[in-house]
Amino acid sequence: MFGLCEEAIDVLSSRRADFGDIRIVRTRGQSLAVRNGETGAVDDSETLGFGVRVLLGGAWGFASSGLLTRAEVRRVALLAVEIARASSMLMERKVRLAPEPSYRDFWQTPFIKDPFAVPVEEKFRTLFETDRLMRRDRRIKSAMASMRFVREHQWHATTEGSRIEQVLLSSGADCRATAVDGAQVQERGYPCSHGGQTLAMGYELIDLLDLPGHAEKAAAEAVALLKAPDCPSGEMDLITYGNQMALQIHESVGHASELDRVLGYEESFAGSSFATTEKLGKFRYGSPIVNLVADATLPGGLATAGYDDDAVKAQRWHIVRDGILSGYMTNREFAPRIGLKRSQGSCRADGFANIPITRICNLSLMPGSAGSLEDLVRSTKKGIIMENNKSWSIDQRRLNFQFGCEIGWLVENGKIKKMVRNPTYQGITPAFWGSCDAICGADEWRLWGVANCGKGQPGQTAAMCHGSSPARFKKVKVGVKAG
Amino acid sequence: MKEHKKTCAEIFRLAGRVRAEVMINSSESALTRFADNVISQNVAERSESVSIRLMDKGRVFKTSLNQTDGASLASAVRRALAALRLQKKDKNLLKPPAPRPVATAAPGLYSPATAALKPSFRAAKIAGLARLCRARGMKCYGTLENGVSLLTMANNSGVFVSHGETHAIYSVTARKGEGYGWAEQYSPDASKIDYAAVGARAMDKAAASARPSAVPPGKYTVILEPAAVADMLFFLGYSGLGGRAWLDGRSFASGALGKRLLHPSITITDDALEGPAAGATFDFEGLPRKKVVLVEKGVVRAVVHDRRTAAEAGVHSTGHSLPQPNSYGPMPRNLEMSPGESSLEEMILSTGKGILVTAFHYTNLLRPKTVEMTGMTRNGTFLVENGRVTKALKNLRFTQSVTEAFSNVEALSKERETSGSWGKMCVPSMKIRDFNFSSATEF
Repeated sequence: MFGLCEEAIDVLSSRRADFGDIRIVRTRGQSLAVRNGETGAVDDSETLGFGVRVLLGGAWGFASSGLLTRAEVRRVALLAVEIARASSMLMERKVRLAPEPSYRDFWQTPFIKDPFAVPVEEKFRTLFETDRLMRRDRRIKSAMASMRFVREHQWHATTEGSRIEQVLLSSGADCRATAVDGAQVQERGYPCSHGGQTLAMGYELIDLLDLPGHAEKAAAEAVALLKAPDCPSGEMDLITYGNQMALQIHESVGHASELDRVLGYEESFAGSSFATTEKLGKFRYGSPIVNLVADATLPGGLATAGYDDDAVKAQRWHIVRDGILSGYMTNREFAPRIGLKRSQGSCRADGFANIPITRICNLSLMPGSAGSLEDLVRSTKKGIIMENNKSWSIDQRRLNFQFGCEIGWLVENGKIKKMVRNPTYQGITPAFWGSCDAICGADEWRLWGVANCGKGQPGQTAAMCHGSSPARFKKVKVGVKAG
Repeated sequence: MKEHKKTCAEIFRLAGRVRAEVMINSSESALTRFADNVISQNVAERSESVSIRLMDKGRVFKTSLNQTDGASLASAVRRALAALRLQKKDKNLLKPPAPRPVATAAPGLYSPATAALKPSFRAAKIAGLARLCRARGMKCYGTLENGVSLLTMANNSGVFVSHGETHAIYSVTARKGEGYGWAEQYSPDASKIDYAAVGARAMDKAAASARPSAVPPGKYTVILEPAAVADMLFFLGYSGLGGRAWLDGRSFASGALGKRLLHPSITITDDALEGPAAGATFDFEGLPRKKVVLVEKGVVRAVVHDRRTAAEAGVHSTGHSLPQPNSYGPMPRNLEMSPGESSLEEMILSTGKGILVTAFHYTNLLRPKTVEMTGMTRNGTFLVENGRVTKALKNLRFTQSVTEAFSNVEALSKERETSGSWGKMCVPSMKIRDFNFSSATEF
């Protein structure tokens, strides 16, 4: 593949590009689902293609194609040059990239069991069994169990001399039961929502998740939610649990710390960020116990790789340290704008057809000293535990958010009292994180995958992980009602 | 089209006696993005995807690829055939349909010039906008995109249907200090976009939005411009007007056909065949799309079906299948809300106190049964007092049931706007009383 890459590098070098690169990407995917005893999805896919990026006279051009011939590589490289020339018609300052050494390397996701070597029929056996176990109550109107696997093989060559080959692997699975009774519709998923748990692992993740072993509990809780009281409205302590904290981190810190957004380059679509650059190193983002760390080297992380798509080596850095805004997600284009000598390496593209953009890395809340979840509940006078995200919404500056969760439990005087349905909460980002008064310890820390983060125009999907232990936030507005 | 025919023929040959269904989507698209009055991203993409569904004696397997050379197709089909034999039998699996007559697509959906627009054309349009923005002390952000797609559905029982369509979308956000304005226009023909008008509308809103004031959250009469109405209609259609959710009892329309659930001024139709939301006249099994009146004068009349949900419901398919197999069921993709008698100006004139909303941001569903959703206002939110817009407002979060909002309608505009490309919606502006804003922001 690197032979084909040289074709593009030759074209770009001959046009005296400031920088140029080509990424050839072969992606193998498999998506399987069973719904109500029938095959809900069975798709085995493979795509192959390349994208050429060029910085010419300080302006960007990018073009891609799925046809891998030398002639097509040349055509696309020349089209990228033509597009860069058009970009230079409307330019205020020339783009200058942060320097990075060139690398010749191979990196791959560690795994134990290749998911593509496991027969499809074996996977379906697990899914049909899980589906069957969820449908024992007539009020379960929809049961679904699914698995998905992606292997992305990349060959990345730059005009600076990098030649990086990477094989990134991820696996994911979940089951979900929907109970219906009259006007009530309640869902419960295992192990979490949004397509389930996905991590950079092999089929060993599916074995660990044990979907059939958790199917009946998920269905029973969906049915129980039908008769549970509604989440009360008012202010009380909130304990986030399951993948809800992953969504909280993702929406209110992850996107807010993408430097392209901060600088206004996403203003027309996803929005900007309140966490502007003059706040770096000064702004109180959260209470002093809040430490949020970005980490492209984290085992199992969906954003974990040897290098990002700017050919920058993987790094680990603080976004929030002791409650203070301390860093951003960067690419090589924007890192120099805040005085960084080097990008943090958080620039990725969706497949071969898209230009790399600034992305959320794996971003996790570091464990605290509040012990176990039981310890946290014991020290809570009046509160609510909310588990697994169901709905999410946040404003264009990442301040005002509202989340809905699958299930809640009321806590009174240190004890879990009862289940509540339709739990929701609202907050303003710095005030919310500022109210964090307890974070459970490392034994409770879990990594959650977000495999479907959308951003950019044209739209791109990226995957990353967020780790956390259960945490408590004081006096949160819960039980938001419609009119 | 010729290439698609050749690819299908090769796949059917490789499949032999096994039933095969093929979906091919070829597209070329280009997009220029701008921010801070300069071009910030400029891309072009050519892509092809081939999806092959094989079925044999109740077994099904599907494979997808983007390489259409003989060796790649042979390898994909060989692998899929081997996997097919090992799948569990599904007694309810429907074999691919026989061919049915499919209507010719509505005129005007394909523009060769739009397919071939150059990067320099997009750059020139954006440069013109940036000049005007600078002159008014503003910054502009947005995209100008164009593209062409060719979709083919075929099976070895004789179905072969194709649909070609072009699109151009010009989207502009203007900013003046803390004031934002937004406008967008979609057309299958780039020459029909009024670039100057889109830019002017965004800039005028930004100018009017400077120095926004706060209002407390609560219930207000709202005047929603078409982008905000489309956002709500999307969730109504996605969660409630498809046959699968309806059969499961998860839809607001479950058990409610023939009942008046929305205001009598509301009529919602899915119509791919003609009109402002027209598109491909067949579904993802190659069956003809039918025009479906979903809500007529507030009364829920129907939901859309594919062959599977139609059989369960004891009705005929309306031709709204998504690619099979899927867990979502059929979906309406060409939604149209009938116009009213009013205009945006008349709605403002007739309002004692209310809020004018340009668009919503980051909306999401909370409860499917009542289509309760939440989201923020964005890019121009204004206070209306005594029949006129008096000041710009800081943005608000709403938490509101769509069925309730669409029951509290006071007026619909005669003018409508269409958004989207493959999935389309055409809606008017709408005036609604007692719309619930649940919290506010500081900007």
